[in-house]
Amino acid sequence: MNFRTFAIGLTASFGLAWLAVVVVPFFKMRDIAPVAFQEGIDPQSGIYHPKTSGRVVNGYQVYAENGCYQCHTQVVRPTYAGNDLGRADFAGIKDDPDRGDTRRESNPFDYKGLDYAPVGVSRNGPDLMNYGRRLLRAHPTDAEQYLYRRLYNPRFDPAVSWSNCPSLPFLFEKKEIMGQKSDHAVEGKVKEGFEIIPGPKARALASYLMSLQHDDAVPASMNYAPAPTNPEG
Amino acid sequence: MASLENDQDTILRSSIDRSLRHPVMFFFTSGAAWLAVAILLGIVSSAKVHSPDFLSHCPWLTYGRVFAAHESALVYGWGCQAAFGMIIWLMARLSRQACRNAGIILTAGHLWNLVISLGVIGILAGGGSGMPWMEMPTFTWFPMLLIYIAIVIGSMVQFKLRPSGHTYVSQWYLMAALIWFPWFFASSNLLVRGFDGSPLGATGVNAWFHSAMLLMLFAPVGIGMAYYLVPKVLGRPVYNYSLSLIGFWALAIIAPWAGLQKLAGVPVPNFLPYLGAFATILFAIPAAVAGINLLKTAVGDLDTVNKSPTLRFTVWGLVFLMVFAFASVMLNLPSVLKLTQFTISGYGYDVLGIYGFFSFIAFGAIYFIVPRVTRREWLSRRLITSHFFLSLYAVGGIAVITLFGGLMQGVGAENLTAAWEDAASRVQPYAVFTTVAWCFLLVSNLFFFLHLTLMWLRLGRRSSHPTLLTHEHATSPHGPEGDIDNAGPAVH
Repeated sequence: MNFRTFAIGLTASFGLAWLAVVVVPFFKMRDIAPVAFQEGIDPQSGIYHPKTSGRVVNGYQVYAENGCYQCHTQVVRPTYAGNDLGRADFAGIKDDPDRGDTRRESNPFDYKGLDYAPVGVSRNGPDLMNYGRRLLRAHPTDAEQYLYRRLYNPRFDPAVSWSNCPSLPFLFEKKEIMGQKSDHAVEGKVKEGFEIIPGPKARALASYLMSLQHDDAVPASMNYAPAPTNPEG
Repeated sequence: MASLENDQDTILRSSIDRSLRHPVMFFFTSGAAWLAVAILLGIVSSAKVHSPDFLSHCPWLTYGRVFAAHESALVYGWGCQAAFGMIIWLMARLSRQACRNAGIILTAGHLWNLVISLGVIGILAGGGSGMPWMEMPTFTWFPMLLIYIAIVIGSMVQFKLRPSGHTYVSQWYLMAALIWFPWFFASSNLLVRGFDGSPLGATGVNAWFHSAMLLMLFAPVGIGMAYYLVPKVLGRPVYNYSLSLIGFWALAIIAPWAGLQKLAGVPVPNFLPYLGAFATILFAIPAAVAGINLLKTAVGDLDTVNKSPTLRFTVWGLVFLMVFAFASVMLNLPSVLKLTQFTISGYGYDVLGIYGFFSFIAFGAIYFIVPRVTRREWLSRRLITSHFFLSLYAVGGIAVITLFGGLMQGVGAENLTAAWEDAASRVQPYAVFTTVAWCFLLVSNLFFFLHLTLMWLRLGRRSSHPTLLTHEHATSPHGPEGDIDNAGPAVH
């Protein structure tokens, strides 16, 4: 083998794979074609337009810099790749009083607005793709307040006293109570006359986590496991 | 005539060693210091998995940041620097030329340490990017690329100017790593951080980059180094030389396709995870070819393997390579992948690759190279033996426990009749073991770092008897006594 064969062989073997699995897919995935609801098959019509509300960009920043993705994933895999659809509330709500079974797989639109899809590394904690939805179901009136208390101390709730989630007290601030207590004050060790309230980063993170509700109805053409509640599908 | 040639050969080799003394010692010693940092961060992060309130009030020490800093220190602080030291020394020796730009390499080495320090501090301070193995803040990657080029450009020139005739397989492995690394490092960082792509596209490139670091930087450098050390110290030719070239091309053809299996079930084009899983399974071929070829060479003289610090580490590194290949197959079978995809076994696989396979060969190389560049012998047989046994048991333990623990964790997650608590709590016992094992590794690495620092300060033994792991004064496997540079009959 001389250098010429080596260089040609190496460039060809690496270059082909590099183009096929890195460069071309990266640029192909930039423009996802819009998907339309089909009349007669879907109950809705028009273009599928997923809605997210909340401080997705700022909140994700806090999520990323504190390494939440080391233990939490954000993906609902199809059944061939894992049993996420069957795990209670990972993929949506099994028996939503208004919408029926909302469980579905993830689609590329679920990561809209981010530069990087936080698919995650390990599930030392539960998947968060529908965390906002789960919270609202369990705590319909005070979901946000509950979330702040969890972020401040993940083990405060006896139901999850086994949790090994790190607490994030440094995202909270101590503040003197002026008149009434603040809405989102959390319990913690603090001097008389003071309270602990979520700081700007805690608010952004909570807003992002509340936005994780990816169980809206998708066009049947994208739904590989159509819910039985959809009579036409 | 023969003895004159032999003398000239010895003079050439010692002049090469002398020319590289400072850069090589710098990379090895600062790499070992980074390894200690990585292990400390590993202990803290692993402890947090089973005791989440440990050090939880300091934002710098929150789990997600410490774990990211641990991996970055291990990969870029220790792994890359150990690789640089091995590349510049081995390429100079095999191309038979002294290093002419030691000053530039040394300066670049200091800069590398500066950038990695800033990067790791950046992660701990809350500037992490959120992308596994690319967590260091964006400002780091371009300086790293330039510094890398400054470090290795001399090795590429040496290869270009090598004497005509035979080119040994280690040189091909090193050249491949030298070309692959800047290619995948620059293109991945550029695509992910520089282009406005789809979020899933960026995640895919990141997964590919993670795999490329293991299979296209650490694997070729480790295998290339082992192809030098085993025949050299034993004074025996490689068991089957043409097989080694087949192994090289198998790696070149297979490794670039691997990585996307991390995205199985994620909404990306379906062929990507399948190709990634298939390529990672096929990686077992080049790994097994190199492993079997060199282990076959080594079994011919197990007595020497046992006595030589270099060979003990290198041969066990090759055994870890075989385990790594086995894990590449097992973890990526479709039925297992869905269990282990999002579990701690991914971490076990990385530790097995970096600390089991690559670092063991790097330790072997360091025990071989350092006496040659410092012209002093290792001080203590006991320090080497302690380093060896503590590392072997602890790394083997972490790898086995996390691979198996990940499988158990996956079985728990798939068990829909049990609450999530069941799956989550399955991690705990394995995390406790991992913390203990990292503590053992810290002790082991402190021995190693102390020993290496003493050598760096040129406090090694002024002797020409190599330090061997034996009690009697046996005949030296490094060649006739009295000549440190005579490492037995030259293989090539």
